Amino acid sequence: MKFLLLAALVPGLYWDQGTDTAAELKRSGITRLYVPAANAAAWRSAGFEAVPFTPGAPRCEAAEAPRVELRMDVASATNAPWIDANGWRFERKAGDKWCYRTPAGAAALAAAEAYAYGVDGVIQPAPTDLGDFARMVAFLRRIDRPPMEAMANIGVVDDGSDSSGEVLNLLARRNLLFRVVRSPDPKYEVNVEPREVEDPHEFAAEVRRKLGDERRWVRLYGSQVVIARLTGDGRRARLHVLNYSHRQVLGLRVRVRGSWRLAALEVFGKEKAAAADVVERDGGTEFTVAEMGPYAVADLER
Amino acid sequence: MDRRSFLGMAAAARSALAATGDNLPKYRVVTSYKPVPGQGMPGPYRGQVASVMAPRVIEEASEKVDAAVLREAVARGMCALTGDRDPRDSWARFFSATDVVGIKVNASGAPGICSTRELVAEVARNLGAVGVRPENIFCFERFRNQLDTVRYEEVLPKGATVEAAEDDRGRNDRYDPDVFVEVDFFGEDDTRSNMQRVVTRRATKIVNLPNMKDHGASGVTGCLKNIAYGGFSNVARSHSGVKTNTYSFIGTLAAVEPLRSRTVLGIMDGIRGVWHAGPFSLSRKFRFYPKQLLFGTDPVAMDRLLLDIIDGKRKAENAMSVWNRNMANIKPGKGYDDNPNIDRFIREPGHIEFAAHLGLGEYELSRIREQKADV
Repeated sequence: MKFLLLAALVPGLYWDQGTDTAAELKRSGITRLYVPAANAAAWRSAGFEAVPFTPGAPRCEAAEAPRVELRMDVASATNAPWIDANGWRFERKAGDKWCYRTPAGAAALAAAEAYAYGVDGVIQPAPTDLGDFARMVAFLRRIDRPPMEAMANIGVVDDGSDSSGEVLNLLARRNLLFRVVRSPDPKYEVNVEPREVEDPHEFAAEVRRKLGDERRWVRLYGSQVVIARLTGDGRRARLHVLNYSHRQVLGLRVRVRGSWRLAALEVFGKEKAAAADVVERDGGTEFTVAEMGPYAVADLER
Repeated sequence: MDRRSFLGMAAAARSALAATGDNLPKYRVVTSYKPVPGQGMPGPYRGQVASVMAPRVIEEASEKVDAAVLREAVARGMCALTGDRDPRDSWARFFSATDVVGIKVNASGAPGICSTRELVAEVARNLGAVGVRPENIFCFERFRNQLDTVRYEEVLPKGATVEAAEDDRGRNDRYDPDVFVEVDFFGEDDTRSNMQRVVTRRATKIVNLPNMKDHGASGVTGCLKNIAYGGFSNVARSHSGVKTNTYSFIGTLAAVEPLRSRTVLGIMDGIRGVWHAGPFSLSRKFRFYPKQLLFGTDPVAMDRLLLDIIDGKRKAENAMSVWNRNMANIKPGKGYDDNPNIDRFIREPGHIEFAAHLGLGEYELSRIREQKADV
């Protein structure tokens, strides 16, 4: 049962290369992969668990390649970098399978993103990214534990429109944690129905003002390219931290509302990671992630 | 260490608000450091500025600095400020062998304008003369790429270092997570500006070496802005739009402990200056040569004199005043870089008076005593 749970959570690899790359995959520790139907038999013969798959299939939603994008030609209400992230899409269409086709350098982040949001992700990396992807999958397997419910401050009644989608994007971008709900839910501090929103930036800003920063579950300081997701069960919480740039983030300061003990900090690519400057201040628990690449995860306990 | 917020700052800000009538952002200051009575800004020489004119300190065409003239100017300035005969006695009033001294240079306009290398060398030499060990002297600034164009390490004694908070722009690990000002100016998500760790955890004293410069957002940039925006992270957010928050942010940051108490001496570098398009100096046509150094412990008084120096030069060049707030002259974009009658922002030279209301010094000229000397 646990194997099945892990298989559902840890992203899979879509690999359209021939079996002449089998040794490379084995060296990377990959034994299970999605392949074009025509290649499945050959891959099975090579000793792999090969699942026939078509990336463009209707039952696989297309995820964007996660990244920070320089878009100087697009007007913006802030000077914050433009981030292509999929978390808001995952919230909108929970339960779907998501297909990523990633350019060089983005596969590890894509895998981490899919894992952090608990979606069934299939990643088609650039061939040069195979090692990064495999290392991320190994990391995810090592840190994996049963999923918990997403923690959020905001309930969003989503009408499925583009403008509503942009509101979801901006809320996620600003680390204003939300869940998509069918109708306003009193368990969230703020419920909103972004119908026909003319200015999504202002709408998101107004949501933030209504909530108040002091009530936000998560605040991040020291970077504009990091997005967080928090899950928990009241006694324990897990904070997923995704860095959408290709550069290391140094000195990311994290604040989680409430009093917590930081049980563990795991940083992809770091054998030993320790949170620095842990402190409780003004109703929140703060710590610093000294250095991180695409992904880090912090486990918190009451 | 027991951390707590100082709410006194908020009270002081309210007082300043009452004095100015402006709406202020809501600042939250977090620090556990306490003031050192009588030390720092405005320090023992409140309302007092020593001004040294040194016409031979720089040859304008080549911009070659005469180190001997500069040495004499520094000696005269320190003695004029303190009343001592021997400049060594003057330096010893501020620094001792047990100190770790940070020299806050300004490299934001480098290489066109920055804290003059020869002045930095002279400050370090005087620190050494009163017993500060070279390994306890360091220059600091926020951005490595700016410092790299100046190479202060070449003029410092062996063992002294040059420290940048951000080798790569945006790194946050050399700022102190426990000392910050939190404020939301325009809905930005990162609402904290943290003090540099070299200020909180290394320096026992700081010498502030600003330039004499125009600044498109704050009107001018002198002692207050150099130590404030140069001492904290995430400050450019205050001037992301035409209407900036430099008016209240500069003084608010400068007043945070331990920066306030550890900044014990200011030497304003007017060997070169910039009268328009600052803080940068991309075009030499806006550079000028006041050939003047100001010495003091009161950053407000020094910056008050700077206001008249910059505005006087602008007037002489038929440029609009730093006090101009006519929106017809404000055109975001490139025009500002070339035309001294165009601004990018609504300038806020009132930030200096605001800082006075926070207790950082004397703003009224009638309360400022300027001791003049010539070299």
